[in-house]
Amino acid sequence: MEKTVRLNADQREDLVAYLDGELPDEEVQQIDHIIARSEVARHEVEALARTWEMLDVLPSAKASDDFASKTMTNLKVMEAPFILEDQWWYPYLRRAAVICGWLLCLGFSGWLGFQIARNWVPNPDDELLKDLPVIENLDQYQDVREIEFLNLLKQSSVFDDAQEK
Amino acid sequence: MALTTTPPANVDESGFLHDPEVQLMLRVKQGDDDAFTKLVKTYQDRLATIFFHMTQNQEAAEDLAQDVFMRIYRARNGYQPTARFSTWLFRIANNLAINSHRNKARRKEVPLPVGETTSMSGVRPESQVLADKSALMPTRQIDKHELQLVVQKALEQLNERQRLTVLLHKFEGMSYSEIAETMEMTVPAVKSILSRARDTLRTALEPYMQMGK
Repeated sequence: MEKTVRLNADQREDLVAYLDGELPDEEVQQIDHIIARSEVARHEVEALARTWEMLDVLPSAKASDDFASKTMTNLKVMEAPFILEDQWWYPYLRRAAVICGWLLCLGFSGWLGFQIARNWVPNPDDELLKDLPVIENLDQYQDVREIEFLNLLKQSSVFDDAQEK
Repeated sequence: MALTTTPPANVDESGFLHDPEVQLMLRVKQGDDDAFTKLVKTYQDRLATIFFHMTQNQEAAEDLAQDVFMRIYRARNGYQPTARFSTWLFRIANNLAINSHRNKARRKEVPLPVGETTSMSGVRPESQVLADKSALMPTRQIDKHELQLVVQKALEQLNERQRLTVLLHKFEGMSYSEIAETMEMTVPAVKSILSRARDTLRTALEPYMQMGK
């Protein structure tokens, strides 16, 4: 390999694996061979190794001192059985339920009262509506004066001829 | 992606029973909460470190770490020792990190610059100014805080998957096959991701190589 030859992507991939000790022996020997002959490869390996070492300056994080106890407490809370009465919002929920109950009772009573008033208490207007046909023809009925006269008129067949005609 | 809380089942079961953390988890399964406290204490800083470098926020990192433990605890009854405990734990962490990133992207959050969000790195806003100066004068000698900031910024250039792969490899010392199992990828995919990530890091950090020595 020429000293100035640049490495291709596969060779670069192998260089990283080579540095990480993840290449099989055969390929390690090949890389050794390339490094020995190529200044570019040598520089590449050196740069990769040294920039990798620079990651050592990254700080290691430390969880807060109470992390473990906080985690265990949260786990206990997560695992604890759900008891409705123990919830902080339970008294509010109960009060709201009572208010809703009363409102429902009130609403139902109102509806029931309306139904009773509508169906069971007689309405004077209903009587008037029932008699409406009579009321509308009241003047004519008053002119007739007696029902016996009408019956006699019907029996006399005075209007039969007029109908036949 | 749905969160995976089921332990991986594609490996030989018997080999993992000797893992002390697997033993602890089996005790947790039996109802031993002290064993779980031990697991939390063992992994809390390691998870916090991974999530801190993913989120740049100490509080968010702790919340995510706690979420991981919650999911493990909830899944304890179905636990089967079919993998190293750490593999399972970091797989959950990986899924959570992806979901967290996705939610963050959905909310279109703009992350604050490093140093303003936390005191973790010990980087103050004035250090940001110094680091910017460093960027202008890469040959200038820079101190450790500035170098931290520069490296942190380089890390931020990686996408989520690359960053987590790098962190698992660097901080957890995971091999390619362990990373592949944790992140549910193939080994060649891990190799490719790490190669691209380290190429990006090299490009970003090369100007500071002499100063970092």
